[in-house]
Amino acid sequence: MNATARLLQSHHTGAEPLRVLSASGQLGYGIPEEAFRRGMARAPHVIGCDMGSVDPGPYYLGAGVMAAPEAMIERDLELVLCAARAADVPLIIGSAGTAGAGVHLDATLAIVQRIVTRRGLCLRLATIRSDIAAVQVVSAQRAGRLDPIGAIDPPSPEDILACSHIVGQCGTETFARALALDPDVVIAGRACDTAIFATLPAMLGYPLGLCLHMAKIIECTSLCCRPGGRDAMLAELTPAHFTLESMNPQAHATPASVAAHALYEQADPLQVEEPGGSLMLHGAWYEALDAHRTRVGGACFMPRDKPSLKVEGARWAGERVVLLAGIADPVLLRVLPQAISDVEQRVRTLVPGDWLLVPHVYGQGAVRPLAPALQATHEAGLVLEFIAPQAALARTAAGVFKQNLLHHAYPGRIATGGNLAFAFTPSELDAQSAYRFVLYHVMRDAPLDMLFRVETTDLHGRPPH
Amino acid sequence: MTGTAPSLPTLADMAHVIRSKNAGPTQLTIDVFLMDAAGYALAANSPAMSCAAVAARYGLPAQQVQRHLLADIHAIKYVLPRAIVAGSPGDGDVYGAQQHGPMLDIVP
Repeated sequence: MNATARLLQSHHTGAEPLRVLSASGQLGYGIPEEAFRRGMARAPHVIGCDMGSVDPGPYYLGAGVMAAPEAMIERDLELVLCAARAADVPLIIGSAGTAGAGVHLDATLAIVQRIVTRRGLCLRLATIRSDIAAVQVVSAQRAGRLDPIGAIDPPSPEDILACSHIVGQCGTETFARALALDPDVVIAGRACDTAIFATLPAMLGYPLGLCLHMAKIIECTSLCCRPGGRDAMLAELTPAHFTLESMNPQAHATPASVAAHALYEQADPLQVEEPGGSLMLHGAWYEALDAHRTRVGGACFMPRDKPSLKVEGARWAGERVVLLAGIADPVLLRVLPQAISDVEQRVRTLVPGDWLLVPHVYGQGAVRPLAPALQATHEAGLVLEFIAPQAALARTAAGVFKQNLLHHAYPGRIATGGNLAFAFTPSELDAQSAYRFVLYHVMRDAPLDMLFRVETTDLHGRPPH
Repeated sequence: MTGTAPSLPTLADMAHVIRSKNAGPTQLTIDVFLMDAAGYALAANSPAMSCAAVAARYGLPAQQVQRHLLADIHAIKYVLPRAIVAGSPGDGDVYGAQQHGPMLDIVP
């Protein structure tokens, strides 16, 4: 018997609270160790970590690359793996390797294997693969079962088929399949953040609405506290409510800070969509237990008839080179958009081909549109993106553009030494591939059992005799 | 604050948090947490804080902005469509975390 079955068999729901420890909301950026150790000292029944997000943009999903530095991922994984095995409690990790495609899961598993070998761990590992075949998405679209989330153009079948990776956010249904295989450790590809923390409690009979609400709050660790932070967060769950407590004694979970957290990154603060239904927070209540802890209850779950799945897909948009420069001439800064456009025209005659120029003029509205009166005329930063089907073409366009803008004779010029200030050279830098999300959609009536592959392996740090 | 003449308090004066963030790559959400119930009541009832007024500040038609009023926690939330899907070429703020500027000088 392994850690999951032992917990399912030994825990008496209702007789004692279930202690769920959230160790990390973004594994790979340095789990604060002191708070995590304090959490382990509280003898949690289960440990969870979120490792991914759609936030960092389409590159990581598209390129199949992890966003966090690999050395820090290894450090964080080692910390939680060793602690979970020492305590013999289940460890559940979701959205492996940032974007949670097979390639990210495999990269994460390779690190796990290194740690298991180095530390002599023995464990049963369950994995969930979240990759969705493009043809499944195309046929869902054809059948009218693919709805956009927010403002995104309908993808063409060609867009969908050209995605380098497509993932679905698996939920509690899929985690339950993995946990039924009695693992010590679950590592899932792309997953609902909530499912990481809610599934085991729900399998133990705690109300699903309560489990999901708890999960929704603790998946960001101590972000729901004042001051917010990244320290481990403990939830003590009973059938009627849960108590939130940061493992940083200086980060306090107050009713206001916890309720406010429900708004974070959420379009609807009172309703959270899960594959199997909706988490309804209309009846949620928050009460202070003391200055440090808050008790929460009242959420409920409304199942839907047929499951819906959030799918994410990124398509390659070209190779990117960026040119970085500063401008401090007031005359040029007043005519900069025209100057960039004039130089572009000239460069297009010199460098033919299918390259795209995306200018970002910091100080003049690169982050958001700025009224003319607020636009900088003393100093501005220039980031010019060149995107082309081949990196060599993007590099050529960037290099030629740089020299032509450097010596462009714009009207009224009095500073003839050069128009750009470079902090370093080369000032045009390769910036990897560019991607764009073409899928951020809900696939209705999704056959969850068929879409997600669940497997187990036994890992042995020392060769078995 | 600049200027010498006494001026009406802005949202930045009345709130302890004004933040923007993506809610997924296609939507932007703006959360305003007022200091107290009085500030919340003033802001929630102010025409300057209506969907239409906030939409105008972001150059959007009124019907594209949704508003949630959360009196219990003195919070007002707006949900806007992103002009460009996060991280697509042309985007200037992948996380949407620096789009709160147009809210700061609203006078509720």
